[in-house]
Amino acid sequence: MNLQTVNANVARVPFFRFLNFEVQSMDDFHAEAEMTFEAHHIGNPIMEHYHGGIIASFMEATAAIAVQPDFTEVPAKPINLTVDYLRPGVKGPLYARANVTRKGKRIASVSVITWQTGREKQVAEGLYHFLLV
Amino acid sequence: MAEISREYMEQIAQMWNARGKGLITHMALEIENVSSEGVRVRMPFNPDFCVDKDQTLLHGGILTALLDSVFGLANFVTIKGVSSMATLDLRVDYLRAARSRADVIVSAHCFRKTRHIAFNAGNIWFDGHEDAEIARGTASFALTRGDTSLLEAMTKGKAS
Repeated sequence: MNLQTVNANVARVPFFRFLNFEVQSMDDFHAEAEMTFEAHHIGNPIMEHYHGGIIASFMEATAAIAVQPDFTEVPAKPINLTVDYLRPGVKGPLYARANVTRKGKRIASVSVITWQTGREKQVAEGLYHFLLV
Repeated sequence: MAEISREYMEQIAQMWNARGKGLITHMALEIENVSSEGVRVRMPFNPDFCVDKDQTLLHGGILTALLDSVFGLANFVTIKGVSSMATLDLRVDYLRAARSRADVIVSAHCFRKTRHIAFNAGNIWFDGHEDAEIARGTASFALTRGDTSLLEAMTKGKAS
């Protein structure tokens, strides 16, 4: 599946437009995306850090695309998630990489990391489950 | 636990409304109830938060964001002398598809607080359907103690 088609899919989802991100690379088991900082992403208005929920949402979106880039109506159906917040997400672009750890007939397990200045300095990491049926 | 004064509740509500920017403002959250038992907040329906073309199905992420926000509020009202806090980790179960245009109600509380850490739990349902929870979550927060409360910092931030 080419990136242009995937990003056209992303642009159809109202909440994905709200997050404002673009898929930059992908293959069968991974997806990488970049999110642009927006005023409505702010959680801490004094420091202007990303809201933790926005980071988790971006990670969920990237994970869903890694699992099902060719979704027709709605993105892959999430079951649950756990997120570890490691560093504050500061004003500026945020990157996410989702790796599909296992994709079975019914359930997919996906791990996601996010970073800003370098992959080794993770902002958050998370595990997401999706229901494929 | 001491009862929370009406004046303090009003200050908290003011602080939330005084943010003026960011996701919490965009979500247009309304505090319905605050007590030492926990908090209850309403989020009006917003088509921006949907995933489908018809805009009736909420994205899970916004429910996660809602829990994270309201956990922060619950800690803020329950724990005195906190200058800032950061979410350490978060776990959310999506119990059923969030398909409705009704307002979303979230209830959250802090079930354990220590000097450095607060533990939270909460759940979400559509207004009028409390028997059909759509999500449930737990989280832990790292607390930074200090004389300048979050409330004061916000108020000053607004004034400057």
